[in-house]
Amino acid sequence: MDSVGAARAWGWVAHLRDGGATPWADWTGGSTPSARVLPGAQQLELLRRLNASTSPVEVRAQRASRPALADRVLTAAAPGRGKPDLPLVGVEASPYGPQPVDPAQLPAHELVRVATSVLAEDVVALGVPAPARRLRRPWHRAVRLAGDPVEAAHLRDHLAGLGRPPGGPGSRALVIGAPLDELLADVWTRRCFERGSGAWLEWLRFWQQRGELPPRIDLPAVVDRHRPRHRDVQVVLDRDRLPDLLGVRRLPPVVRPGADAAELARRIATVVGLLVPPDERADLMTHTLLPRMPATGHAPVGLPAEHREWVSAAAQRMVQQLRRGGYPVVGDPAVLVPAEATDQATGPASDEAVLDLAVRMLVDDTWKEQP
Amino acid sequence: MRKKVLLHVGTPKTGTSYLQDVLFRNREGLREAGILYPADRFDGHFLAALDLMRLTWGGLETQAVGAWDRLAAEVRAWPGTSIISHEILSTASPTQIDRAMTSFGTGVEVHLIVSVRDLVRQVPAEWQENVKHRSLVSYTHFLEMIRDPARDTRIGSWFWGAQEIPDILSRWGATLPPEQVHLVTVPRPGAAPDELWRRFSHTFGLDGLELDLTPDRANPSLGVPETALLRLINKRVTSVVDPPDYRPLVRELLAHQTLSRRTTSARLGLPPATQEWVQELSRTWVEEIEKRGYDVVGDVADLVGQPAESFTDPDSAPAADLLPPALDVIKALLVEGSRLRTVEADLARELDETRRELDLARRTVAEKTVQSMETSRPGRVALAAYRRARRR
Repeated sequence: MDSVGAARAWGWVAHLRDGGATPWADWTGGSTPSARVLPGAQQLELLRRLNASTSPVEVRAQRASRPALADRVLTAAAPGRGKPDLPLVGVEASPYGPQPVDPAQLPAHELVRVATSVLAEDVVALGVPAPARRLRRPWHRAVRLAGDPVEAAHLRDHLAGLGRPPGGPGSRALVIGAPLDELLADVWTRRCFERGSGAWLEWLRFWQQRGELPPRIDLPAVVDRHRPRHRDVQVVLDRDRLPDLLGVRRLPPVVRPGADAAELARRIATVVGLLVPPDERADLMTHTLLPRMPATGHAPVGLPAEHREWVSAAAQRMVQQLRRGGYPVVGDPAVLVPAEATDQATGPASDEAVLDLAVRMLVDDTWKEQP
Repeated sequence: MRKKVLLHVGTPKTGTSYLQDVLFRNREGLREAGILYPADRFDGHFLAALDLMRLTWGGLETQAVGAWDRLAAEVRAWPGTSIISHEILSTASPTQIDRAMTSFGTGVEVHLIVSVRDLVRQVPAEWQENVKHRSLVSYTHFLEMIRDPARDTRIGSWFWGAQEIPDILSRWGATLPPEQVHLVTVPRPGAAPDELWRRFSHTFGLDGLELDLTPDRANPSLGVPETALLRLINKRVTSVVDPPDYRPLVRELLAHQTLSRRTTSARLGLPPATQEWVQELSRTWVEEIEKRGYDVVGDVADLVGQPAESFTDPDSAPAADLLPPALDVIKALLVEGSRLRTVEADLARELDETRRELDLARRTVAEKTVQSMETSRPGRVALAAYRRARRR
């Protein structure tokens, strides 16, 4: 490493540690090495973006409260098989190894890789909250909820808060349904906050090519699975009837994470899986990260046009199966068929949107507070 | 006794699986000789490397949580020589390498060992490894990607991370004197079968120890039609078979246990044009390595490789050549399918029994009361009246 270039790089490291946000291309100062290894361009650029998104006053405040963040970002491993840590253009003259880069030109997903490493450590450090212990009220009719995993989990939590944990001997089962495009989006979103998943489009292609539906939302099959253990199983397609079926006066609205939040969670889940055992990962993602995920205003993922045909055909088949098989359905099975495509359907979040959210969570750690 | 760590970081396809198997099976004997091979399973160091480098590997990474720290703790606690060996360590970043080196503690003499083989053999072997890891990429496209100097693709970036010997030595050897950096070259084709082991044995200080050298595990190579078939299978299955299922079913069952047994088919080499480029590049590596003054076990000039006599293109393998291995694959899958059906039936029976026992065990007094009321008509009437009264 040439000494002038190296001094300039270490000067930039010191500048970034101090909250500076000058791009590498504009940086001219120098300094002596502050560590054994010069961080990679990805780590340095992410720290610069964090500093750039923070006002100078906030930077000073954070320097006092979170002195370790810069160190954590600079030493974070970029997980997975992406680019290796890249050298800065203008520093490394070795003819071997990856080519040096201008960090400002790095694609957003490379910075997200580093960010997820730090955020995953944060999630693990928060730990899994102890489940709230409430007096069980067995005189209520016990219910097992299945189907739409976002809605079912939401209802399960609400009922558990009322002293009615799911299931138990003699319980009835309610299988929550919805238009199939929404069910698919909810299954994928929920998986992002459990054990992770393939990307939204890759995941859809998986089911399309298998010619199957995810087991959780293949509603007739869910009913068949529950029948041996529950004397009363119903598919619920009319949500207005849910309060009555559950024996409650009203239900709070379901909050669905946006496409950017789900995508970031998906990537965080991968790294959390490298830090804790599988069961703990699911608990951390569901009980620690999900309730704390900042709201972004981004819509949940929607079904892209190229997938509408097979999803509609699968929904039609399910409608017929429910009708012909005499399955107990509350509501009209035709609800399962997705509505006509609208221009507003959102695909997966862009890498830039995911990076914005990751930067926001790293800069402002109020999300770590108890929800 | 001076504390030493012999750190073997690759490269892939240089007899590493055989070496690791010998070390693992003989770990008790090695321990008695003062050498620690800290692993409680064959792939223990692979898991530690995944953990150190935060790599996912078809779901295996979930078994790797904390594996590097545990490995390093054993090394720190051992007073003599410890051996760590895994080839994917070759791709570690400088920050990860710094963490690894620091984790051994102070006062330890670290020796870096890199086993290397000429690119003439490594390039086709790496493509084959890619195919065994779900890749759909043709051999021609693979060669284009690794020749792209920008290394912008995942394949190009990984290939050079694992195979660019001067860079691996610079990254891992940055803090070591050259006499503590050892290069073990894989002998040329036609050398005595035990020559590579003799070089490993000498470098790892195993000469004179009584070791069981029976080959038990290896990462066997495939022939040209077998690899071409596997790539076609990948095209059909990678979108519908998740990585945790792909590994045991395709990589292990089909590639390693079935297709690799077909040893008479043509072996994969380099097309003539690529061969010239590879050999030219390798000559610059040889010069660079000689300049750095490392300890070389074998002949560094072997890295230039030998031209192949013929080249069989896997991208245009005729259907007639694919049929025999395809039939072998169908047979292997049917046998596995019938085995899994038996397992499924056994598990279903056990699950049913367990569920019944659980239902009986976890009822509370109140639940038992409600349940017993539901078994009789007066009970059900009373419960219904209660629920109406409570609007439940």
